[in-house]
Amino acid sequence: MTAEIIVVTSGKGGVGKTTTSASLATGLAMAGKKVAVIDFDVGLRNLDLIMGCERRVVYDFVNVVHGEATLKQSLIKDKRYENLYVLAASQTRDKDALTQEGVEKVLDSLSEDGFDYVICDSPAGIEKGAHLAMYFADKAVVVVNPEVSSVRDSDRILGLLASKTRRAERGEGQVTQHLLLTRYNPARVAIGEMLSVTDVEDILGIKVVGVIPESENVLTASNNGIPVIVDTASPAGQAYSDTVARILGEERPLRFIDVPKKGFLQRVFGG
Amino acid sequence: MNAKTESTDACDLRFGQVGIACVRVRRVDAAALCEELERRVRAAPQMFSRAAVVLDLSHLLHLPDDGTVDALLEAVRSAGMLPVGLAYGTSETEALASRMGLPLIAKFRAAYEPAAATPAAETRAPEPVARPEPILAPPEAGHPLGAQHHDGSVRSGQQIYARDRDLIVTGAIANGAEVIADGNIHIYGGLRGRAMAGAQGDEKARIYVSDFRAELVAIAGQYRVFEQIPDDLEGRSVQCWLEGEKLLIAKL
Repeated sequence: MTAEIIVVTSGKGGVGKTTTSASLATGLAMAGKKVAVIDFDVGLRNLDLIMGCERRVVYDFVNVVHGEATLKQSLIKDKRYENLYVLAASQTRDKDALTQEGVEKVLDSLSEDGFDYVICDSPAGIEKGAHLAMYFADKAVVVVNPEVSSVRDSDRILGLLASKTRRAERGEGQVTQHLLLTRYNPARVAIGEMLSVTDVEDILGIKVVGVIPESENVLTASNNGIPVIVDTASPAGQAYSDTVARILGEERPLRFIDVPKKGFLQRVFGG
Repeated sequence: MNAKTESTDACDLRFGQVGIACVRVRRVDAAALCEELERRVRAAPQMFSRAAVVLDLSHLLHLPDDGTVDALLEAVRSAGMLPVGLAYGTSETEALASRMGLPLIAKFRAAYEPAAATPAAETRAPEPVARPEPILAPPEAGHPLGAQHHDGSVRSGQQIYARDRDLIVTGAIANGAEVIADGNIHIYGGLRGRAMAGAQGDEKARIYVSDFRAELVAIAGQYRVFEQIPDDLEGRSVQCWLEGEKLLIAKL
């Protein structure tokens, strides 16, 4: 049994990769899987903040890659789900501190330790860090915002996934590509300020695996170190739950893609 | 997948459109060349003064000797322009360029190699696809080739080049992607990026697109960019062809 490696990537920065990695990893753990989530953004580590474990980082990913610490010492157990582990990035190093052999060894060890899923939280860009994050992937979640520059960068990433990964180089078939549309605001789509789901699907030529509505809950959750998927009352949390279920093979209709209809009282009193 | 992206791990090798003037030498006369260029520099100093130029010797019947080329380069310099390389290399030009310590600048340098056998530049490359002439360099050439097929989409940043033949793409060409063929190009998805047919100079090459939203189309070096896609063409099936020096596009 080998672990399935999922990279969360986008090309463009600030579209919600780390938020997605945190929620995806937590969602899979909620479904009973044993999950490790690795922050590849060496030098700009964020994942530990969103996962709420920043004060428990002793050893990090770079230490393991360099053999300065064991994997066991470095994996931080999540405080909510016991089958979820975080491997933080180093804040004091840069991306050259990672090597392909080192990353491969860490992923192999995780696989041997019985992990079902390894989530690789990619840095922005298409340079070394991003390349290493995607290189060993079996699946990719490409995070895209409904605006043109993000869509173009995602297109570039989709191209790299098809050519610059171990699967592609060995001819072992495609990396499964999932497109995740985040920060979606149906009201702004309706007045033409944002690309719609269909626009994005048309331009990129693939279907979305989920649409996460723009919501203040995301920011609040991040600031409190709680992956938004844990907030089951929020639309964004529910949308992430749907997405995780779809990645696990379930079929669920898209929600939160239409402008919410206002109730009678809201129409009378505003709001 | 036969996606052919010209890149290595250490860097990205990409062919691009560079705004560089090309001095096409029509006869070997350094004084006349200097005079002509000086006139151009005077007429538009902002555009031509200290402008990087490429010296194109392919229109001369015989490649001049080193001394003459030196004189021509000097003529360009004294006119106020800066020659940075030689263009359109046959293997002779290539040898010349390396003796001069200048780069050879051409879109597909190796692709001009066969022309060593036929120096008449203007008339060469009629339908390279079906050309049965003896060809020196590429081992796979020499007999007619079928079209090159690409299944699926071409993503932003990718480049596909069908050498000496047609290119057929079943998917879409994204913004920032490039498809290039020495023959015709057929695209059955949307074209949002760039398509360049007749890359070796075949003026009869055509481009067929089933959903037209291109950034740029080019045939045999004549190109059109689309800042705004005309309403009557956007999203339609079109073909592009060359009439004289004019690149025409019409609905199918």
